[in-house]
Order: sequence, then C-alpha cells, then structure tokens
Amino acid sequence: MSDFYQSGVITTLHQLGKPSLERLETELYGFSKTRPVALALPALYSEFEGPAMPGIVQELAKVKYLNEVVLVLDKASEKDFQRVREFMSPISTDVRIIHNDGRRITEIYETFARNGFNVGERGKGRSAWLAYGYVLARGKSDVIALHDCDIVTYSRELLARLCYPVVNPNLNYVFCKGYYSRVSSKMNGRVTRLLVTPLVRVLQQLIGPHGFLAFLDSFRYPLAGEFCMITDLARVNRIPWDWGLEVGSLAEVYRNYSPRRVCQVDIADNYEHKHQILSADDADKGLMKMTVDICKSIFRTLASEGVVFSDGLFKSLLVSYLRQAEDTIMKYEADAAINGLKFDRHEEAMAVEAFTRAIAMATQVFMDNPMTTPLIPNWNRVSTAIPDIFEMLKMAVDEDNK
Amino acid sequence: MTDFLSLILEPLQEVFLKFKVFLPNLLAMLVIMASGVVLAKIIKIILVKSLTAIDFDSWSDRMGFTKLMRKGDLWAKPSAILGAIVFWLLIIVTLMIGLSALKIPTIDNLVEQFFSYMPRVFSAAMILIIGYVLAGFISRGVLIAAVNSGYHYAKLLAEAIRTLLTVLILAMVMEQLQIAPSIVLAAFSIIFGGIVVALSISFGVGGIDAAKRMIERENKESRAAETGDDIEHI
Amino acid sequence: MPNVVTLRAEVHDQLEKIGSADIVVGIPSFNNARTIGHVVRAVQAGLAKYFPAHKAVIVNSDGGSSDGTMEVVRNAAVEDFNAILLHHRVEPISKIAFPYSGIPGKGSAFRSIFEIAQILDAKACVVVDSDLRSITPEWIELLVTPVLNGGFDYVAPLYHRHKFDGTITNSIVYPLTRTLYGKRVRQPIGGDFGFSGKLAQFYLTKDVWQSDVARFGIDIWMTTTAIANGFKVAQSFLGAKIHDAKDPGTDLSNMLYQVVSATFDLMENYTDVWMPVRDSEPVTTFGFEYTVGLEHVNVNTARMVNLFREGLNNLHEIWLDILGAGDFKEVERLGALSDGEFNFPLSLWTRVIYDYAIAFHQKKLPAEHLIKSLTPLYVGKTASFILAAEHMEAAEAEAEIEKLCMEFENHKNYLVTRWK
Repeated sequence: MSDFYQSGVITTLHQLGKPSLERLETELYGFSKTRPVALALPALYSEFEGPAMPGIVQELAKVKYLNEVVLVLDKASEKDFQRVREFMSPISTDVRIIHNDGRRITEIYETFARNGFNVGERGKGRSAWLAYGYVLARGKSDVIALHDCDIVTYSRELLARLCYPVVNPNLNYVFCKGYYSRVSSKMNGRVTRLLVTPLVRVLQQLIGPHGFLAFLDSFRYPLAGEFCMITDLARVNRIPWDWGLEVGSLAEVYRNYSPRRVCQVDIADNYEHKHQILSADDADKGLMKMTVDICKSIFRTLASEGVVFSDGLFKSLLVSYLRQAEDTIMKYEADAAINGLKFDRHEEAMAVEAFTRAIAMATQVFMDNPMTTPLIPNWNRVSTAIPDIFEMLKMAVDEDNK
Repeated sequence: MTDFLSLILEPLQEVFLKFKVFLPNLLAMLVIMASGVVLAKIIKIILVKSLTAIDFDSWSDRMGFTKLMRKGDLWAKPSAILGAIVFWLLIIVTLMIGLSALKIPTIDNLVEQFFSYMPRVFSAAMILIIGYVLAGFISRGVLIAAVNSGYHYAKLLAEAIRTLLTVLILAMVMEQLQIAPSIVLAAFSIIFGGIVVALSISFGVGGIDAAKRMIERENKESRAAETGDDIEHI
Repeated sequence: MPNVVTLRAEVHDQLEKIGSADIVVGIPSFNNARTIGHVVRAVQAGLAKYFPAHKAVIVNSDGGSSDGTMEVVRNAAVEDFNAILLHHRVEPISKIAFPYSGIPGKGSAFRSIFEIAQILDAKACVVVDSDLRSITPEWIELLVTPVLNGGFDYVAPLYHRHKFDGTITNSIVYPLTRTLYGKRVRQPIGGDFGFSGKLAQFYLTKDVWQSDVARFGIDIWMTTTAIANGFKVAQSFLGAKIHDAKDPGTDLSNMLYQVVSATFDLMENYTDVWMPVRDSEPVTTFGFEYTVGLEHVNVNTARMVNLFREGLNNLHEIWLDILGAGDFKEVERLGALSDGEFNFPLSLWTRVIYDYAIAFHQKKLPAEHLIKSLTPLYVGKTASFILAAEHMEAAEAEAEIEKLCMEFENHKNYLVTRWK
C-alpha cells in the first residue's frame, strides 16, 4: 500500500485504496471522444511467440477508448507479418501494423537516409519514432501512449492508468511516465537502483543543484518503457535511438515543457516482463552498452544546459559514484532484509563495479567526441525537408495493411 | 635378418589383415550413421509439419504441457520441442544400429540390452504423460466440485489429491524403468501409508482441535444452508 | 420418410386406428402419477372447449415410470364438462401412453411426440410438463391458436414469476439468446411450448438424439432452432407456473452446466446465424398479462456472497486464465467488498459471460470443469441482483434485467471479434 507523499518537482499519482477500473475506463471513454488516444507498440516478431503477447491481445480486445493501435513489427518476414495480423484480429480497435522489414517501409527508411537524415539503427527508439510519425500522418489522435510487448503481468488497468492523466482535460498534463515496483522474490531493476539513481545524486553533489538533475531524480522509475504524451510532443521531441532512449526522452520533455505539466503514475501492483534470453556474454555486453548510452545521454543533456565537464569532474565522479553506490547497496539490503527478499550482496557489488567501468568508458567516449549524438531528428524538421513524407508513410502502411 | 624383419612385419600384417576385415564394417557404420542423420532430420521436419497441421501446440497449451515446459524455462514451441526429442531419439537409435554393424561382440551385447530396455522407456513415458494429464483433470474436478459445495479448504484438498496421484504415477514409472524396484516399493508404501496414518492420527488425536474446527465450520455452513434459499434458479 | 424405429408396434397400431389428427398434445413423464391426472384433465378440457371441431390426440411419452403414471393417463377423464362451461357435444379425445425409447431424458420423450405428430400429420402441437399444478384449459388455447390461426410456428411460454425466480434465465440465457439471435423471447427454457407440425418435422431432421440435447438440453434447443432457422416465433402469457418442488438434491452447478453448455453448444452450430445480428426485436405476445402481489421469498444472500468469495479464493487461477488480468482484478475487488456494499456491475457480468463463451469455443478447459467454475460468479451476480431488487416492484426488477440485456447487446462486438 503506498502513501500519498509528493516528492520531487513532478506530480506523482499513487495508487490509493482500491480504485475501480470500471469507473476509470468509463471516464476515459468519455474523454477520448474529444481527445482521441493512439497506442503505439514497438514489437519484435519473437514476442508474438512468447508468453506475454496473448495476454496483451486478450486485454486490448476489451479496451474501448482507443482510437487506433499502431504496432511496429521488427525482425519479421512476410509470413510472420501475416501471422501477426491474424494474431491481432481479436482487437476491435483499428490496428495498423508497420512492417519494418517489408519493402515499402524499407523504402521509407531509405528516403530518410538519402535526404540526409540519420534515423538510427534498428531498435525500439527508431520503431517508436516511426510510430509517432504515422500517428501524426493520420492526424486522428491527440494523445499517444506507448508500452512494451513483453509485459507478462499486463492488465488493461495499466493502460488505463497510464492514459488517464494526459487524456483527462481537467488535469492538464502533457507527459506521463509509468512507474512500478519490480519486486518478485528479490529486487530487480538493477540499472535503475544501482546506476541511475546514485549517478544522478552524485552529479547533483558535484555540479550543484540543477533543474534537469532534480527533474530526473523525481522519477521513481526513470527507465520505465511505459509513457503517454500529447502528439505535439511527438512532433517536437528528438528521441535517442540507442539505449539512452528513456532518459533521453525525459531530457527532451524537460527541455520543451515545464515540469508542472509532467507527472508519473503508479501503473501496476506487480510488473514483470520477459526479456529476450541473452547469453551471459551478450548480457554483459548489452548491459555495458546500456549503461554507456544512458551516461552519455545524461552528460550530453547537462552539457547542452551549460554544465562544464572536465577531466577532474569525471575523476571525482567515478570516485563519488562508487561510494554512493555502495551506500545505496546497504540501504537496499536493509529493505530486502525486513521484507524477506533475497539479496545477493556480492552480485550487487559486482554490478556496481561493472557500472563504474561503464561510466569510465562513457566519460572517455564523451570526452573524445562530445558532438556525436544518437538523436533522431524531430518530425517537424523531417516534414519540412521532405514535404510529402507523411503522405508517403501513410500510403506505405495502409497498403501493407490491406 | 629376414627373421627380424618378419618379426616386425608379421604383427603389422596381422593388424593390417584384421583392419581389412574390419574396414567394411567401419564403412557400413559410417554409412548407416550418415543416412540415419539425414533420415532423422527428414522425419523431424515431417513430424513438426504434421503436428502444426493438427494444432498440437494449442492442444498442448490446453492440457498444461506448455506450462510445464515454461516452468522448466523451455520457451520454444511444443511441436518444436517434440520434434527435437524425436530427432535425438532417432540419432541414438541410429548410433546403436551403426555400432552393431561393427560386429564387435561386447558392443553387440550393449546394443541388445539397449533395445530391450527401449519398450520400458516408452511405456514409462506413456504412463508419465497420461498420468500427468489425468492427475490434473481429477484434481481440477475435485477443486471445482468442492468449491461449489461451499467447502472452505477446497484448494488444499485438490492439491493433496494431486500430490497423492503424482506420487502414485512416479512410483509406477520408476517400477516400469526398474530403477531400484524394491526401494521404490518400500518408499512408496511408506509415503502412502504414512499419509493415511497421519490423517487418521490427526483426526483421532493430534489435530483434534483443527479437525473439530473444520467440522464445526462445515456444520455451521450446512445449518446456514438449511435456512437456505427458496428461489428457483431455473 | 425419416426413421420411425423408435415407436413400438402397439403404438403404430393405435396410430393407424386414429389415422390423422389436427392437434397433438405431448406430455413427457417420469413417476408423475400424483400430478399427471390433473394435467391430462386440463388438456382435455382445453381441447374440448376451444377446439371442438378439431381432431386431437393426447400423447404421454413415459420414461419407464414405476408408479403407474401411464395408467393414470389412460384413466383420466373430465367428469363434468358443464363445470368448464361447455354446452356442445364433445368428441372423445384419443389418448396414447407408452414408454419412449432412446437415451433417458426429456429430449427422447419429445422425439417420440414429434414422430407421432408427423405420422398423424398434425397441424399444431403442444408439449406441457407433467407436474404442473397451475395448468388451466386456457393454456391449450394460448399455445395452439397462434399456430393454427396466427401462422406462427413456435409459441414460447411467458409465466408470471417471482422477481427472484429464474435467475439463470434472467442473467444468462435470456440476455444471451436475445443478443445472439435478435428475438426477445423472454423465457426460452420455459418447458411448455406450442409449435407447428412443420416445425416438428424440421426438428426430426436434426441429428441430435444421441447427444446431450436428448438428455437435458431439449428446451433451449427447441427455442434456438426455431429462431435460428427463421421460423415465426411468438410467446403467450400463461400465468403462474406452479409445479412440484424440484428435487432439492439437484445441484446448482449441475443445473448451470446443463443449461449453459447447451446454450454454448448451439452457438457453435449457428455461428453464421448469430454473428451478423445486431439489436433485437420484440416478439408478438398473446394473452392477458397481469401482476400479482409479491410474496416474500426466503433467500440467504450472505451465504451466496460467501460462496462467491470462496470461489475467488480457490479458483483464481482458472478465472484469471479465462477473464484476463483486468477483469479478474475487478472480480477481486468485488471479493473485498462488504456484504452491504456488494454489487456486481452489469458490464463486468456481460464480459464474464462472453469470456466464458469464448473459452468454451476455444476449448480452454474440459467443458464440465469450465462451466462449473462459473458457479461462484453466477451466485455472486444473483446475490447482487437480489440485494439491489429487494424493495423493487416487479416492473422495476424487470427494468434491471432490460438494462442487462442492453449491456449484452451493446458489447456484442467484443464477442464477435474475439470469436475465431
């Protein structure tokens, strides 16, 4: 059971009591008439053979307040695409599937490339960005919600709570991020717990109070992949196409809007998603890359706000981070102890060491070339340079979905 | 000098001769293995295709086999897993046949023993599968019936029955495979007998309070049921 | 000519002697000696009073009674036709009583009646229960006239019932049948029906006599088959239905299983018929409706709510699988409500029934386990209705049921898109 404490600069919407899903959905249904909602789902084909997707489709079939569902399908053959269409058929809302590997969409990507736009590598960032483009192209929705397709404990309550703050016209929020506790028999969410939170706090110590850091620190789960925003944001924001996607998106929101119009909402009592199983090797490499990308994203944002990064700062950063992270481990250990959760001190310490190495690597990369930016250009810029791009994208997707 | 040479050459000749006799067998084995592997691959592909055609995957989902596999962290499709199992079984059989082509007596013996054991493995597997499905079906039936008659400890009862049935099935499987039969028999009798005795004791002496409470709760509910409903549901 | 092997030689002889008839009244029975006499006399009086010029036959299709039911039927006769205000000459009405063959069950009994109707080339037929205490001669008129004179093929009954009675019909079968097939037949599993000879012959062409339909699903089967195959359907208000108290041993979950599985099975057969239907229309209603003051009926809602909560505790894995995470959480919230606030929302109930229909179609669980797991949810819904309708008049309670039906109709799209 949570409390109602408001921490940080953004609004926190807790789960208080036992709110009724019925009431929430009825209100959403009413609001959505004047503020239509689109749901964007970046997905890999393999997720359709996994344990989460059937449950997600079953729940979405009961959702009546969505205007459209845009699924971006990556790593899928033509047959896979047809199978996915069949799979999504129980959903009565208008479903459009963007077939990334299909020839029409591939052509669209090439259009970007030959007009000088680097839209990044295959990944969730690029898929999400293209989904935004399609929603903008259709011009039928005012709100875009986004979540992953590997959530095993998915319920329509998650979606309803995620959409509500932005869709409700009386609440005036432009961006809403989901948060949840990732606790099973042990505490998960290591990257958030042991990297992001200590890093941000340490940076605040070293740099002094800074609006962006305070903003970032307010989020209870900054790496959550679930958020909801007004379509205007999709036009203006530049999102990173690497692992810095979540943090980078928050940075863009901070740049373009006031924190008073941003909130986070408790979307689930228990949340579990099933990652793709990586080999131990890959896992390490993947984790390292994630860490490096997240750090780069934070450094870049701060630098763009006028913070000066020097060698000395980075050296102090590493030392302070290590200390802060070790203190943090002790705090989590106590929390785990009182609640009877498994806690492997050694494993956590090893993770911190790995993160330290990753931060060092990130600082190196950043110092070497601070201008490299994995940010996808925003849609305003793209549509100015290629005036018919929205039409072309719409045609491509509509043809694929015939 | 020639004696010495012949001393060296003779054993070599013997070995060479033996090898010449052995060579065709070796070649036979290699051919059998190669064709066996190809055949196994073909059969696996046909099997997986036919399983997909009869919608084996959703049947497996309904029967609960998929859930079992997922618990064991196997995330491939059930038809693919079955295909893989059959494939490797065929490879083993091919290996056995290939080895027997070498015509080495000790190996022949081993192969014979292996093949005579196969039927038992097959029947044990059948017992396991059918037993698993049956135990699930019966325990679910008990659960639903108990819940609908208002029994508070329905879940406990259903799980107890499922455990008992599982113990029974495992004992039967072990007996089929002839793994330490006397130990299994003794262990099974002890476990089953023990459960029965424990239940009797608990109701007679030890758990008299708990049992009394259970019975009283049942009585209270049945008394409440008697002041029951006069409505006609149909 | 479809097979008539089910009728014995003696019956055939009797039928030959009778030759043909305009009206056939069928009464299936099993150990109903106490009550069947009254039923037969009421039928005789009805036929004599309202259809004196028509040739009629009463058929008792018996399940092997040991209490002399068939004897009672053969001997039953109206003593004094004056009492029922008859002043013209009355033709003797033929009676046939025999044991039916086939799987034990009401369906097999009906089959024999349909066959006799076909052999006698009857224009109108009626079937009535053998334990009716409230049957009057007027019932015959109300069930036969729409067929003979109104051109209807099927007449369903409409009883005056206590607002708490017939909850399986009110919360499942009526809303579902109405939404699926588009006709507002208020009591599709009434038990007493009128139908045309044409429809009887149609029934015989269906090969269902070895299935559960023959055992317990005949009532809903008759109604659904008539509607789904485009026959003209009407309903007649018959008054109160009072019959012998049902055997208290009849377990609720069994009753639910029989009725709901028959309904779901029919959905499989008539998919092409119900999928495109949207909205529903009223059916022509005959008879003079009245309402009577409400007697108090004992009902233990606390026990019902407890049963629901127990079901929630023990069956949550099954319910989670069928309903999905969102609706299951809603059901969990219901479990946490106190007895006073307990209220099962109509939209949630609609989705529950649709989810169960879909799960039945996808064979997620063995049918019996699946539907019996619905019992605690049904009991919860019933308790909620009773608590809400406690101080309502009959008309208000009926309005509640109408609201539920509209929920079903408005959400039919969900059922259609998820049915694969």
